[in-house]
Amino acid sequence: MTATRTSTGRPHPSWFTRFWAVVRYEMLWNIRKKKFLGLVIVAFIFATLSWVLPVVLSATTDQAINANPEYAVTFTIPGIGIFLFALITAMNSISSEFESGTIVPLLTKPVSRSMIFLGKLLATFMIILVTYTILFVYVVIGGAVVYGPQNNLHLVPLGLFGNILSTFVWIAIILAAGALSKSTIVSTLVALGVFIGLFLAVPIIAVFAGPSPVLNYLPGSGASGTMMTTQGPITVGAGTDGIGANLINYALYSSANVDFNTTNIELQDGQPLITQALAYSEPISVITSRSVATAVVYTIVFLFIAWIAFKWAQILE
Amino acid sequence: MDLAIETNGLTKKYGSLTAVNKLDLKVQRNTIHGFLGPNGAGKTTTMKILVGLLKPNEGTVKVLGQELHGSKNGGVLKWFYEQADSRLSIGYMPELPKFPKHLKGAELLDIYGQMYGMTQQQRKEQIPKLVELVGLKGRENDLIGKYSKGMQQRIGIAQTLLNNPELVILDEPSLGLDPVGMVEVREVVKEIAKEGRTVLVSSHLLFEVEQICTHVTIINRGTALVSDTLQNVSGLLSGPAMLHVEVAKISNTIVNAVKKLPCVTSVVQTGDTLRIQMETHEDMRAQVSQEITRSGGIIVAMSQKTSNLEDVFIQLVSKDQGGKPQ
Ligand SMILES: Nc1ncnc2c1ncn2[C@@H]1O[C@H](COP(=O)(O)OP(=O)(O)O)[C@@H](O)[C@H]1O
Ligand SMILES: [Mg+2]
Repeated sequence: MTATRTSTGRPHPSWFTRFWAVVRYEMLWNIRKKKFLGLVIVAFIFATLSWVLPVVLSATTDQAINANPEYAVTFTIPGIGIFLFALITAMNSISSEFESGTIVPLLTKPVSRSMIFLGKLLATFMIILVTYTILFVYVVIGGAVVYGPQNNLHLVPLGLFGNILSTFVWIAIILAAGALSKSTIVSTLVALGVFIGLFLAVPIIAVFAGPSPVLNYLPGSGASGTMMTTQGPITVGAGTDGIGANLINYALYSSANVDFNTTNIELQDGQPLITQALAYSEPISVITSRSVATAVVYTIVFLFIAWIAFKWAQILE
Repeated sequence: MDLAIETNGLTKKYGSLTAVNKLDLKVQRNTIHGFLGPNGAGKTTTMKILVGLLKPNEGTVKVLGQELHGSKNGGVLKWFYEQADSRLSIGYMPELPKFPKHLKGAELLDIYGQMYGMTQQQRKEQIPKLVELVGLKGRENDLIGKYSKGMQQRIGIAQTLLNNPELVILDEPSLGLDPVGMVEVREVVKEIAKEGRTVLVSSHLLFEVEQICTHVTIINRGTALVSDTLQNVSGLLSGPAMLHVEVAKISNTIVNAVKKLPCVTSVVQTGDTLRIQMETHEDMRAQVSQEITRSGGIIVAMSQKTSNLEDVFIQLVSKDQGGKPQ
């Protein structure tokens, strides 16, 4: 140990080491959250039920389970699941650093705010990637056990990728709300508001205004249509939550068209009569690429807002 | 003069409230500098500016020779890395620090150490020493969420020392501690300063600063009232010192010899005790004791009553308030 030191006397420490420290910091924070562990358990329970229930039913009704070689490849995390995973991994990420005051010792370490932001983002990505991968592997194995040999397993990573992209739309929105408000409650309410609002509004708009093209550019479930395939009709969601399923649909039925219908309710002889009429029809390729592009744009825009808001946030506490 | 911290005309406003007002703070290297002032004086705000948490409205800040809050241009890389490197040689403990509850004490130090770019080897060597230094040995593997306030302060001190900093900034390190904890923290602060470090420590407690600091800056309403060595500040407004000496085998020879010393104005004898009024506030105990011994006396006890920092502080602050209501 020397008696005097100079700022120039130090060897310059690695930026990567410092960045990786932020990633570790965030990962430990996240995986020790009870909410997160709870959600993972619930997700695995649902996945398990989806193939245990048919086994139980067949045992009680003495009917053999139909083989379903497409079970694994068509598996996708539903919109609500995607939203919840995003909410629980991202809701505390930025806002609670401000709320708990832990931001102060963090920002006085030799890491920049941009490094902290990107480190948190990478940690979130890794956590989602690992959790989803385990979930998908679990579903493939379970599906093979219950529904027999599975087809097109090489496409499963495509669905996984799609689900991650869908999740990041919500993560970006939540991070932006968190960095702007510095409040976990506000950012959670904003995210929930957007999610529920769209969830309720989209079908209502669809009834009154028809499957308006605007719906295709909103985050969430989006307009819903029907695709005729050799395996029968498949429901297709055009929003950002459906990317995983749509990538698979596109890979399996690349030339299929999706029909979007308008619902009409008329009164005839005092009785309501509900009729459906074809509004328009779009190739699955268009729907898939548009939802991917929309998701990428939302993710980039909201992450950018979050980054800038975090970089300029004042530490007043 | 080699300065670790230099601010010129530093001003920080919160809306219409001026928390720091044209502050010139100069902290010399290798000193323990006490930053003293009543609550709300602007100590925390100043320290936050020094570590880059807040941007000043006016004024310049130089820490370890580097200009902070300087030019904005410098390309994309500088925009990305900000001034992160300037914090490599600074350890900062916030006022009542808060650390992530879900981390264990040792984990926190390890992750923070990694943020300084320390290798695993370096962290393995350094962390047990720091845990020992701040008295957290045996509790380092508990979750911080289970730490008491005092333990959080201790880990707060430990994390400032991870990267062997040149400058350590401690914002009220003994706030909220029990008396035993306060004594221990004072010892740690003295220990920190031993290795050629500069320590800036704020406090609203005068006796604390008096016990550990070599230099003091007294701040009130965002402005420095005085800044000097502890000795000079203590002597600043004090009158002449008074010595109390208890002498065995006391005699008139001794009393007269002491009276003749040039630095002594008067001597009063009561029993075995001499009360010696000095001419200055300087420390003359050596001369006085020499004279007593030479005249055949044996000194049993001796104490010097100087006016302490508290007197200076109260006088300065009340003068600064200028009779205006607080
Ligand atoms: N975030 C803030 N917003 C508004 N006023 C503040 C804020 N922080 C501190 N102040 C005010 O600035 C003054 C200085 O505060 P501070 O630096 O915390 O003083 P000290 O640390 O000496 O007690 C006080 O009057 C305080 O009320
Ligand atoms: Mg304070």
